[in-house]
Amino acid sequence: MDITIFSFIIVCIFFVIVIEAVRRGIFETKDSLIWIFTCIVLGVLSLSPGLLNFLAKFLGIVYAPSLLFLFGLLCTIIMIFDLTKRISKLNNKVILLTQELSLLKQDYQKHLNKTSKQRKENA
Amino acid sequence: MCLESIPKTLIIVPAYNEQDTIGKTLSSLVELKEEIRNLEICVVNDGSTDRTKDIVSTFDVVQLDLSQNLGIGGAVQTGYKYAYNQGFDIAVQFDADGQHKTSDLFDLITPIINDEEDMVIGSRFLHRTDYKGSKLRRIGIYYFYVILKLLTKKSYTDPTSGYRAINRHVIELFANDYPKDYPEPEVLMHLSRKKMRIKEVTANMQGRQGGESSITPWKSIYYMGKVTLSILMQSIVKE
Repeated sequence: MDITIFSFIIVCIFFVIVIEAVRRGIFETKDSLIWIFTCIVLGVLSLSPGLLNFLAKFLGIVYAPSLLFLFGLLCTIIMIFDLTKRISKLNNKVILLTQELSLLKQDYQKHLNKTSKQRKENA
Repeated sequence: MCLESIPKTLIIVPAYNEQDTIGKTLSSLVELKEEIRNLEICVVNDGSTDRTKDIVSTFDVVQLDLSQNLGIGGAVQTGYKYAYNQGFDIAVQFDADGQHKTSDLFDLITPIINDEEDMVIGSRFLHRTDYKGSKLRRIGIYYFYVILKLLTKKSYTDPTSGYRAINRHVIELFANDYPKDYPEPEVLMHLSRKKMRIKEVTANMQGRQGGESSITPWKSIYYMGKVTLSILMQSIVKE
């Protein structure tokens, strides 16, 4: 089987998985955009050898299908970068939440102690 | 100095699994508190899994209980946030493992009370003290000394010391933004870029009295790389 057809089949399966994930609410729509974009571009490139060859020639790539890998790799790097950015952001949020929770707990404890003291005094 | 005239001061004790030493540390701090009225002690329990929390509860101190382990930076920052919210004028970071001595506290806060400095660090190496750390640790400390000297043109003889006092202005800065993993040397870079006044005073420190240091030899190499990078980043980061 030709590498272009093979990659097209994989891309198709992947595309279905992504769409299904969005439909079920596992992915947020905005998160799926880059995945869908990657799938479509890879699908189009692998199905049209003419376009692939043209682009490969343009970029000076001898073996045209390696352009598919290059594109896939670039997309993966972008996605990982995006993920790292999000993890950092989430990490900061978790720290902030934990800190605020502890401050609130302390406040609450103080409040509890105060009211129980008052109750004792009233009794 | 009159003990009554000391402004509102908070001692922040970050604690992660310090059940062996926290009791002794807090006893000495509470003793000090009886002398100074405006002093408050705040233990930040950084998600300890041992009896630290229970031991702290038996003392008359404020306990901030973090439900997740945030690491030293996140824990200390919680203390600074508390200090900021409660309107403290001075905050002092104090180790839970019994390394720091309360007898040095006045030397640390006096320059801040007199508004001569924004941050005062208790240094083991400014003058000769009894401190005997492992060779590896000394090398690590010297390494950060050199890096900070190159980048800030100032000498911080003990850039990793966790015994430090800050004024209200720096409390506000730290409450909003504080480095996360190994903040002591990073903070120096950060503050000297902001043209803060930083001074070192001699502090006697003992080796840790129990428990385990969070920094093992292998980890320390990783840390040194990481912290070097963040100090460098700190020096080019946009204000």
